[in-house]
Amino acid sequence: MRMIKAIAAFAALAIVAACSSEQAPPPANAQVTPGSIADFKQNVGDRVYFDTDMSSIREDGRATLAKQAEWLKKYTNYPILIEGKCDERGTREYNLALGERRANAVRQYLVAQGVPADRVKTISYGKERPEVVGSDEGAWARNRVGITALQ
Amino acid sequence: MMIPRHLRTVLCAVALATMIAPVAQAQLTIDINRPNFEPVPIAIVDFQGDPMGGQIAGVIRNNLQNSGLFRSIAPGSFIEPNLGANAQPRFPDWRNIGATGLVVGSATNVGGQIKVDFRLWDVVGSKQLTGLSFTSQPSNWRRLGHIISDAIYKAVTGEEGYFDTRVAYVSETGPLNNRTKRIAIMDQDGANNRYITDGATIALTPRFSPTLQEIVYMAYGDTKGSPPRVYLQNVDSNRKELLGNFPGMSFAPRFSPDGSKVAMSLSQDGRTNLYEMDVRGRGQRRLTSSPAIDTSPSYSNDGTQIVFNSDRGGSQQLYVMGAGGGGERRISFGEGRYATPVWSPRGDYIAFTKITGGSFGIGVMKPDGSGERMLASGFLVEGPTWAPNGRVLMYFTQQPNSGGRAGSVALHSVDITGRFDRVVPTPTDASDPAWSPLIPQ
Amino acid sequence: MKRFYSWVHSGALAAALLALPSAASAQRGDSVYIEDRMNQLQQTITMLTGQLEQLQYKNQQLQQQLEKMQTDHEFRLDQLEGKKGGAPRAPSVPPPPTGPNTAAAPPASGAQGEQLYHDAFKLLQDGDYAGAEKSFRTFVQRNPQHPLAGNAQYWLGETYYARRDYQNAMISFAEGYKVYKTSPKGPDNLLKLGITLGVLNKKQEACAVFVRFAQDYPRATDLQKRRADQERHRAGCG
Repeated sequence: MRMIKAIAAFAALAIVAACSSEQAPPPANAQVTPGSIADFKQNVGDRVYFDTDMSSIREDGRATLAKQAEWLKKYTNYPILIEGKCDERGTREYNLALGERRANAVRQYLVAQGVPADRVKTISYGKERPEVVGSDEGAWARNRVGITALQ
Repeated sequence: MMIPRHLRTVLCAVALATMIAPVAQAQLTIDINRPNFEPVPIAIVDFQGDPMGGQIAGVIRNNLQNSGLFRSIAPGSFIEPNLGANAQPRFPDWRNIGATGLVVGSATNVGGQIKVDFRLWDVVGSKQLTGLSFTSQPSNWRRLGHIISDAIYKAVTGEEGYFDTRVAYVSETGPLNNRTKRIAIMDQDGANNRYITDGATIALTPRFSPTLQEIVYMAYGDTKGSPPRVYLQNVDSNRKELLGNFPGMSFAPRFSPDGSKVAMSLSQDGRTNLYEMDVRGRGQRRLTSSPAIDTSPSYSNDGTQIVFNSDRGGSQQLYVMGAGGGGERRISFGEGRYATPVWSPRGDYIAFTKITGGSFGIGVMKPDGSGERMLASGFLVEGPTWAPNGRVLMYFTQQPNSGGRAGSVALHSVDITGRFDRVVPTPTDASDPAWSPLIPQ
Repeated sequence: MKRFYSWVHSGALAAALLALPSAASAQRGDSVYIEDRMNQLQQTITMLTGQLEQLQYKNQQLQQQLEKMQTDHEFRLDQLEGKKGGAPRAPSVPPPPTGPNTAAAPPASGAQGEQLYHDAFKLLQDGDYAGAEKSFRTFVQRNPQHPLAGNAQYWLGETYYARRDYQNAMISFAEGYKVYKTSPKGPDNLLKLGITLGVLNKKQEACAVFVRFAQDYPRATDLQKRRADQERHRAGCG
């Protein structure tokens, strides 16, 4: 009997875990704890986008990164990993380097805004780990991205 | 699974005595540097004797047919289907079924070893073009088929063959945003496929050492956020080691022609430069220092120069420099972006990927940048690699993704004229091929 | 280029915004401003590098074109003036054989034939291509063994070429190469055959001819070799 209860509890947990790992963003009015990763993603924005073949931060990205820097200076407990990615319209090796350059552009911007350099690491996924699966400009635009991932 | 790579002690090749036939002018020749010819019809008779002979003939038929230079005549139409290596063919019978070339052979088991004799006849000229005899372990039967295919190719075209080779590539499975990419090696014809990495992390860009003993490739580290690095791995023992201990991401490795060095890219602070590692001594040397991206280095066949990809001028272009660095000069000036340059093993061409507007192409140019010629194009084609004879290339294609599903990714081969393009079959989706040199005999 | 300017523009705008007097953000703004400036300078250098490469390339191309035009002119002038083995008085015409073997050598209609050749050449110089064609053809028909027969065959081809009758020019030059391979005009016949094939858009054949040229005439004049090289390039031979 006890055993069955335990299994039931475990199953419930598993369902909760499965739900929390869903990709869909939480509804806008959901409560997120200030300072949590969810707070960062939802209220600050964890990514900036790039133009084709470019690694300079766009105007919309500047606003996002300014907000990111403010938040990251307030909540200092997260190690930061910037992931640079590219769309599929380039060659594999070059895109690895381009992703690194994008990640680095984000990093430099955050550091220039006062986030300690030793907290921010970078990694490039080139075109190997797209955010969106698709072969149109809409998908490509969202795959030319720098993501500020908190760990 | 261990595949014997060296036949050294087990393979012995001798020329067969030429059989005399009425001499006429030879007709069985192909100039592979010229496009627009019809494939030469060739009849390949099952090798007589041991049943293995039929399988060997099958390997040869497949190779020659896939080269695009030959059309293998269906054995069902043969009038002398049991012709052996040491019988005089009735040439009119072979002419009747349209054969220009005729391959016959025999396979005999001699004390646990297999002995294979074969002859190539010029049917129109009623003349023997070549004849060889091999002795080897029976487990090498596929390689014997490849070696004989190479001998036929050479006799007919005057160029070295490329059938006794391997291909390393990236095997791709799973959804695009969480794709498993592992290094695999197979024979040039798709046989003997096996995996070199376990797929736990993304592994890319495999390249063979000149002896085929080792490959270099790039792989991500086990822990999240650890950057990709270059590994050197023995293909028999699977023992691998890190090549170079650089602080940032290292990638795009490629061996020098003598195998003593590996050139690669190192990224740091948004800049990507080229370095050269000494494979044995582990010394390292910086080759370029630009604030831009320098990547995809490839040594010239004589090892004195390196062609590479750089965006120092604002867009991806091809540059050539001395092998020790210095004297960098741009060689590509056409419309569009140029990438992944690879120097031909013959030294006469550099193959590349070209991106113009919305389309990708594979092309070749001379090392001075002149004589550009496109061989293939598509939605996404990339990453040429040369067969050891420098007259055939492989590359990969990706179809557009749709409905959230990854487009298929496949290897292709194409000859230097761009005329004969075909899919190279692989067990999974496949990208980034690297063609090996001829397997040492 | 366009992209660069728009970038510079937005960069400048951002810099201006950041430079607004705000005590709180002054320090932060400074480092962002420096970062922006660095990126901007980097982009400028990159753009200039690209432009420099393009200009150097264009310059090199122009130089090559100029050289080609020069040699082309030289070649034609030399041909007309008969300096380089082309004309009646040219040193390339072998001297009449002397000595004991003489008897076998002279062509049937010796001096008379030579007069015909000179007349034909005069017509060519005067631009009477049809007349020259007839005379050269007659000369070759009557004196196929004459030391000047190879020359005549070559000029016969030129009478067609000048009139853009490339088909006949091709046949004529090919004949000249085949029959008079070792004549002083052998290399010219072959070279011009290649050029004519190029004009006829038979690239493969033209390229094969240029390869043959290098094999058969390793001792061709520098001018001929240079011309062959240029034409080989022009035909886009591999």
